Amino acid sequence: MINIQDIRETARDMLTKGEVRAVIGYRRGSRGMLAEPTFITSAEQADELVWDPTCFHNLSLYLVHDRKFLAHIRKNAEAPVAIVAKGCDARSIVVLMQEHYFKREDVYIIGVSCEGTGVLDERKLAKHLNGAQASNVAFDGGDFVFTTAEGEKRLPAREVMADRCLECRIPFPREHNIVFGEDKTGRQLEAPFAALTRFEAQGTGARWDFWSHHFDRCIRCFACRSVCPMCYCDECVVDSITFPVTTETTAEDKANRIRWIERSAVRSENITYLMTRAMHLAGRCTDCGECERACPVNVPIRLLNNKMEREAREQFGFEPGASIGGPSLVASFLDRDPGDFIR
Amino acid sequence: MSEQQVYEPRIVAFLCKWCSSAGSDLAGVSRIQYPANATPITVPCTGAISPMYIMSAFNKGADGVLVSGCHIGDCHYIEGNYLARRKMKLIMELLEFIGVEPNRFRMSWVSAAEGAKFAKVVTDFVNDLKPLGPQDKLKKAEHT
Ligand code: SF4
Ligand code: SF4
Ligand code: SF4
Repeated sequence: MINIQDIRETARDMLTKGEVRAVIGYRRGSRGMLAEPTFITSAEQADELVWDPTCFHNLSLYLVHDRKFLAHIRKNAEAPVAIVAKGCDARSIVVLMQEHYFKREDVYIIGVSCEGTGVLDERKLAKHLNGAQASNVAFDGGDFVFTTAEGEKRLPAREVMADRCLECRIPFPREHNIVFGEDKTGRQLEAPFAALTRFEAQGTGARWDFWSHHFDRCIRCFACRSVCPMCYCDECVVDSITFPVTTETTAEDKANRIRWIERSAVRSENITYLMTRAMHLAGRCTDCGECERACPVNVPIRLLNNKMEREAREQFGFEPGASIGGPSLVASFLDRDPGDFIR
Repeated sequence: MSEQQVYEPRIVAFLCKWCSSAGSDLAGVSRIQYPANATPITVPCTGAISPMYIMSAFNKGADGVLVSGCHIGDCHYIEGNYLARRKMKLIMELLEFIGVEPNRFRMSWVSAAEGAKFAKVVTDFVNDLKPLGPQDKLKKAEHT
């Protein structure tokens, strides 16, 4: 069990000594029991920090924002930033460093182990609570304990945990400066890629029926892109904003500029967007689950990313976020890569 | 297209400049007969083919997409086709995953000396595409 006081003490200590500029962590939010991201810069704020099953956010997104902001104001970081990171979050940080987005010494990773459980899936919880509202939730061994108007409600975590946590292979932030909680790697509650395997058991026709339905539903709000720490490109291929318009530019030039993807939220364009995004995340996505959680219409984005993750693992022996110095998936190859599909 | 007309699949073929494009030329100058369904697009190297090209070809109405380059070990840029092999495997898996017929995407190695092989690759591809009919899953709707 993690004692939240230990995390607070670490934050307080580093801020007092001026070892870090800020601590990115979780605090109690304003919407029911949910935690929300917080950025604390003074030691007094350290008591705000919380750690509970609603700490789903992958905070490494804010390391990306921080770097973008520093670049914008043309400043160098004076001190590192500390960040509270779960296993999957720490792996995203590793990928960012692997891609030279920032250096190891720019970040101080306060690792938190998910131990025997993981984070909550709100949709699963809603079914269990039958409309009741929980005002608080805490870890307790293999259970989550909820505070509701009718009193305390205890549920086995595995009934309300996110799928990715059930399938998580390494619920522990191996890359860290300090870490809290036990490393329970191997506790595996469901087989890796279990949800994906269930889905893939269907035939081509059924898979297309499923996906065409979801591709129709996407409203192209780009929440999935905004929330993903790996979607850090200044200019996304989806937005054709790089086209320079000068006084010489004719209407025809404008009309004929390369648009890989139209902005309209129609099936064909949504497919191109979501498929391109899955390709761009292959070998980089660490299954933090944020894109699917952020999607307002519940497009099952995780399946696409999971598919790429499994192919990378099984075909190429590649594990995203495993090491800072390692090669990236699509910029490397092995002699033994499969080639029997090529005629 | 009237009912009586035979359906002719449209193939977009991304061919590398050094091998497969030259291979297709050889098929031509050797006067080998093969279907005229493939529209070739010459690229410097298969390694330069973004999965986006493939999605875009399907988006614009291709019934099948072919990617062809130099045999492993023969890449003009030494390792471009090794990189392509990985990327193309991934996009191929993803297309199948969402329910696109596996026969709509194909990859081959055709050297500059293999005119006959190029003709065979295209012929086989056309034959495999015909039973599938027009590709409308990934195609942009007319009104957009
Ligand atoms: S995916 Fe793994 S590391 Fe991430 S929150 Fe779930 S259990 Fe923890
Ligand atoms: S998949 Fe969901 S989050 Fe992403 S753009 Fe579509 S509607 Fe928005
Ligand atoms: S694609 Fe989704 S699950 Fe993967 S890193 Fe981005 S937000 Fe997380």
